[in-house]
Amino acid sequence: MDYKQIIEQYLPSMSGAKTYGNLIMQGIPVENIRSVINHLYNERKLPLKFITATDERKEGNGFKIIYIFGIPKENLFLAPYIQLKETEDFPSLMEAIHAAYGYERKIKTFFGLNPINHINPAKMILHENWPEGLFPLRKDFHWQSRPAEASAPYVFGKVEGEGIYEISVGPVHAGIIEPGHFRFSVAGEEIINLESKLGYVHKGSEKLFEILDMNEKVRLSERISGDTSFTHSLAFCQAVESLAEIKPSFRAKYLRVIYSELERLANHLNDIGFIMLDTGYSFGGSNGARLREMIMQINERLTGSRFLRGVNVIGGVTKDIPPQTSGDLLEELASIKKDFSEVINIVENSDTLLNRLKDTGKLGRQIALDHGAVGIAAKGSGIQIDARVDFPYAAYNEINVKIATEETNDVYARFRVRIKEVFSSVEIISEALKNMPEGELSENSAKISLKKNCYSVDIAEGWRGDIVYFVATDADGNISRVAVRDPSFVNWAVVGHAVKGNVVPDFPLINKSFNLSYSGNDL
Amino acid sequence: MEILSWTIQLAFVPAMSPLFIGIVRKIKALMQNRQGADIFQPYRDLRKLFHKDEVISQDASWIFSLAPYLVFATTLIIGAGIPIFTLFFGSIIPSDFLALIYLLAFGTFWLALSGIDVGSSFGGFGSSREMTLSAIAEGGLIFSVLSLSILSHTTNLFGISSFILSLGFSRFAIVIGLAFFAFLIALLAENSRFPFDNPATHLELTMVHEAMILEYSGKRLALMEWAAANKFLIFILLAANLFFPWGIAGSLGIISILSALGILTAKILILCAFVGILESTIAKYRFFRLPDLLFTSFVISAIVIELIIQIQ
Repeated sequence: MDYKQIIEQYLPSMSGAKTYGNLIMQGIPVENIRSVINHLYNERKLPLKFITATDERKEGNGFKIIYIFGIPKENLFLAPYIQLKETEDFPSLMEAIHAAYGYERKIKTFFGLNPINHINPAKMILHENWPEGLFPLRKDFHWQSRPAEASAPYVFGKVEGEGIYEISVGPVHAGIIEPGHFRFSVAGEEIINLESKLGYVHKGSEKLFEILDMNEKVRLSERISGDTSFTHSLAFCQAVESLAEIKPSFRAKYLRVIYSELERLANHLNDIGFIMLDTGYSFGGSNGARLREMIMQINERLTGSRFLRGVNVIGGVTKDIPPQTSGDLLEELASIKKDFSEVINIVENSDTLLNRLKDTGKLGRQIALDHGAVGIAAKGSGIQIDARVDFPYAAYNEINVKIATEETNDVYARFRVRIKEVFSSVEIISEALKNMPEGELSENSAKISLKKNCYSVDIAEGWRGDIVYFVATDADGNISRVAVRDPSFVNWAVVGHAVKGNVVPDFPLINKSFNLSYSGNDL
Repeated sequence: MEILSWTIQLAFVPAMSPLFIGIVRKIKALMQNRQGADIFQPYRDLRKLFHKDEVISQDASWIFSLAPYLVFATTLIIGAGIPIFTLFFGSIIPSDFLALIYLLAFGTFWLALSGIDVGSSFGGFGSSREMTLSAIAEGGLIFSVLSLSILSHTTNLFGISSFILSLGFSRFAIVIGLAFFAFLIALLAENSRFPFDNPATHLELTMVHEAMILEYSGKRLALMEWAAANKFLIFILLAANLFFPWGIAGSLGIISILSALGILTAKILILCAFVGILESTIAKYRFFRLPDLLFTSFVISAIVIELIIQIQ
């Protein structure tokens, strides 16, 4: 399909659409935005991938609020947007699209634009010590300015009733994990409500993207969520490559596929182990850790970095896999796969383990859909969603990827999705290693120049779910805005639903079955 | 010789309990393909904790300060009054199994009280879970020992032990085996082992025993840890000496004491291995599934008692 057809199909009787690579931007009058978005989301069933904003007041464009939809199977994005020139209010889309809830709150917090008719336009991520009326992503906020310390009260939702009491957990936890505060309202052991308060690892990453030079930007994208270094930098590099009109070689594309699957393998094996460890099943726990370590050592041997950092650059990758290594890798993966199947055969016969996993932490399919859940959370509730298939980036269009889904909605479903993806990742790597063409590793990225006043969107399937990057350039061709949507940001909203009705001692297990990133959420 | 025997009888539990905790941990580590810490590590941990300063919440009352001493002292008293390697003290030590169970309950009571004393949410639910579990576990515990008591017509632990010893391998072997199984379930519950509690967990929200002692540090934590180790060894000793008293010393000669200690060690090691292997091969149960298991223990004990009455 070409762009004209797509615009005619999805946005009939609109004019002035602009295309930027695989992104179609269409300005919409503010008063029409509700009906347009409603049409795309509820009638055309396009997946809403991101809602973000830019501050283009200097260019005389005011603020833009951009609604990014993906067109599955095409690797194309359709982005209607509105411009706010005289006003700081914009219509909230919450009534039509529940998934807009978090995005609009975030725009409110960081740009100071007010979503009208939003049910809870409270500040998020920024804490009570951040002063009112100071919006860090506006261009007139200098990144090094240090705001005066405020102390606004934070009010948790109250659940009242006989025998209801509150348990507050965190932000600092036992064990080496990221910080986040959880407020449980429980009746005995049963969880009635869970409110999570995140934002403890807010680092101002999106603002930093506007300041750092290009190589540093890539390094920053590797650190958005440390366990997803490769896929995050991949999404960012692909977005910038489309702005610079650089086309990486096919070899680089294949290598990117291999490295991102290695990252998926390491994290899935780790999670499979940790889910079992959280039930106290130490056999599974130690085997998960052992298998993950084998992948980490492969990563280190191939690239010099256990977390595959420093591999992605604008225009390709820095580390090759020579043919002799590739043969060894194939053998090694085959033996890891055999090893893993043996472990899984044993654990799948453990009654005590299955009893803990099954029927725990059920996430209803409709709830997952309404919140726009992605990745493992959605796949465990039977939703067919995977950026590798829907938006085939890198070399995924030449590789056979089957979306792994489970229908039982519980911890066991998410556990099974990971197991299936471990097997499919091994297949993908083997296929990619065999079919990898010759070619340059990377384009010369020393003197890249980006298109001016341009936008780009890129998506990549991290192991948690799809990662979306939105990048904009100004009139000088410098990057003026990078918006990041880690899968954790949308999936945190469904954790509270999945734990309802479960007992408190099962919360760590349910939480681990999602294993969301705090850093990726807080940015 | 008598002095030696008395020393062993009084000091065996507190002196040896950290070692067996260390052995269980070592077995678990080996089962998980880890090297694991040395079996003497619990002693070093205790020494370290005894040398550390304490942090005590400003909301803590005298209960919080006193509880560790009471909990520890209870285990010392119980540990001195149970059959260990010989039955010779039976006539001297007043050792009644009902007294033992309620001394244990006394310790649990203070432990639970100390958990809620500071008012932290973890201590609160740790105590609440502990009381729920120990209330249900008590049935299985009392009834499993009671069955032996009915069999031997005495509630004196030394008496029970010597009667079972005199039975040899008889038609009662099966009922004793069943009662042992019921006792074993109670043992795991009372000592916060799998599948009831995970002694190695770092997840605050799933803890039972660890949640209650979460606020303790330094010397008082050392006492709490040591008391927990003592309690574990007491249960292991009861399991070894009430249900399988064979090998216990018949005279106070050095050879007979040594051989009794040797056999005892072997029995304890078998039970430790059982606990270690169990903890490496199963997952912890769902909290609300635990009462089922404890009721199983109770029902088995009840059946055993009925069988004994029938056979007699």
